[in-house]
Amino acid sequence: MIPWEGLTIKTIFVQGPVPGFRLILVMLVSAALIAADARFEQLASVRSTLATGLAPVHWLGNAPYRFSDWVADLFVSRGDLEEQNEELKTRLLILERRALKYAALAAENNELRRLLNSSESVDDRVIIAEVVGVSPDPFSHEVIINKGANDNLRPGQAVLDSQGLMGQVINTSQFTSRVLLISDSSHAVPVEVVRNGLRYILLGNGDREQLELIHVPDTADIREGDMLVSSGLGGRFPRGYPVAEVSNIVKEPGESFMSIQATPKARLNQSRLLLVVFPPQENVEPVPEESVEAESANNDGSGGAD
Amino acid sequence: MLSVISYPLFAISVILALVLSISLFPVGWFEFRPEWLGLVVFYWTLRAPAQFGVVLAWCLGLLLDVLEATTLGVNAVSMAVIAFLVLAMHQRLRMYPVAQQCLVVFLVLGINQMLVHFLKQFLGADSPGFAYLWPALTSAIAWPFVAAAFDNLNRKLG
Repeated sequence: MIPWEGLTIKTIFVQGPVPGFRLILVMLVSAALIAADARFEQLASVRSTLATGLAPVHWLGNAPYRFSDWVADLFVSRGDLEEQNEELKTRLLILERRALKYAALAAENNELRRLLNSSESVDDRVIIAEVVGVSPDPFSHEVIINKGANDNLRPGQAVLDSQGLMGQVINTSQFTSRVLLISDSSHAVPVEVVRNGLRYILLGNGDREQLELIHVPDTADIREGDMLVSSGLGGRFPRGYPVAEVSNIVKEPGESFMSIQATPKARLNQSRLLLVVFPPQENVEPVPEESVEAESANNDGSGGAD
Repeated sequence: MLSVISYPLFAISVILALVLSISLFPVGWFEFRPEWLGLVVFYWTLRAPAQFGVVLAWCLGLLLDVLEATTLGVNAVSMAVIAFLVLAMHQRLRMYPVAQQCLVVFLVLGINQMLVHFLKQFLGADSPGFAYLWPALTSAIAWPFVAAAFDNLNRKLG
């Protein structure tokens, strides 16, 4: 604006000189933000607040899919529904029979554990969540689910689908959370081979169909088709959920480790309904002091070995 | 420069760009998704350089950072760079024919994507080769349609 003989003229060159000063200012602020966010945890609450504010965007992004689901539901015939109902009832019956057997086995297992004086294993509490978004970054494997801090979700909880382990919650806002999938190149799961209990680390490598089992010595007893389940070491993932199946083993002469690929059991890019597992409540029963110490010592030992 | 601009349209375009950058694109083709928010910043700084500038672009980039779960500030500073480059040459840019504008969109958004990926790699991400330049190309292709649509709406609503 140039006040000129009492007249304000609106010029074309409204910005005046190139706004380099603002850019430098903004760059300095960004540098500070990046350093703070990458190195320290202080900005988690800022991110969570902004993400809560952006919840409508997630909701809108998911709306077309819900709308198409709704339209598809409108045009389902009565016959189809009856057929589906029948099918589900049959399936429920089969699963209930299995659950009966499982209940008996679980009781027996707990009885044996009690006889061995070790802690009883409790069934994990889960909550069902729906995928409402996929990470827009093609180089990171993350999904967004519709449960957040309001449902008591915390970063670090394991996420499953009906087939196996999917990943873990990495940050939460009020209504949504972000789940890092096991196939992301920054993710690793401690696993064990069901057949013989060998423990290894399963790495994601950015490929949704393939994971990598690392540091397996040439002489290890591992075969194609072996099932890998979460070993529970590290305390992040609950023990015993299927993670992947060994699909390909290459022994290279001269290398000290085999290169092993495994196919994830969970349908990482298809499942829409997921289960979020809550860690078992720690202080259900007060445990005597010395046994806690012994247990933590054990944990330290096993952690060191892996 | 348009004589009138419509602020509601600005708000709607930003929300639409944010929704489009997380949704409504085939999963296998994420690599080719146009940088919608970059286009919106480009459009508004070009059309109304007095009202929209570096700081606003930075704020919008920050929202994208939250949506994409990148380190806070990475997309923000890259969006600010888009706004800066457009402000620096908006008078020439407005005279350009559409094809030449598309080329500039490609260059400016390419610089934006390069900066984003440089910062991500600096913070420890994998290097995806030159695949990260696809969004710049698809944005350049989308530019004439986006600009025409927004110009029309601006004239009607403003």
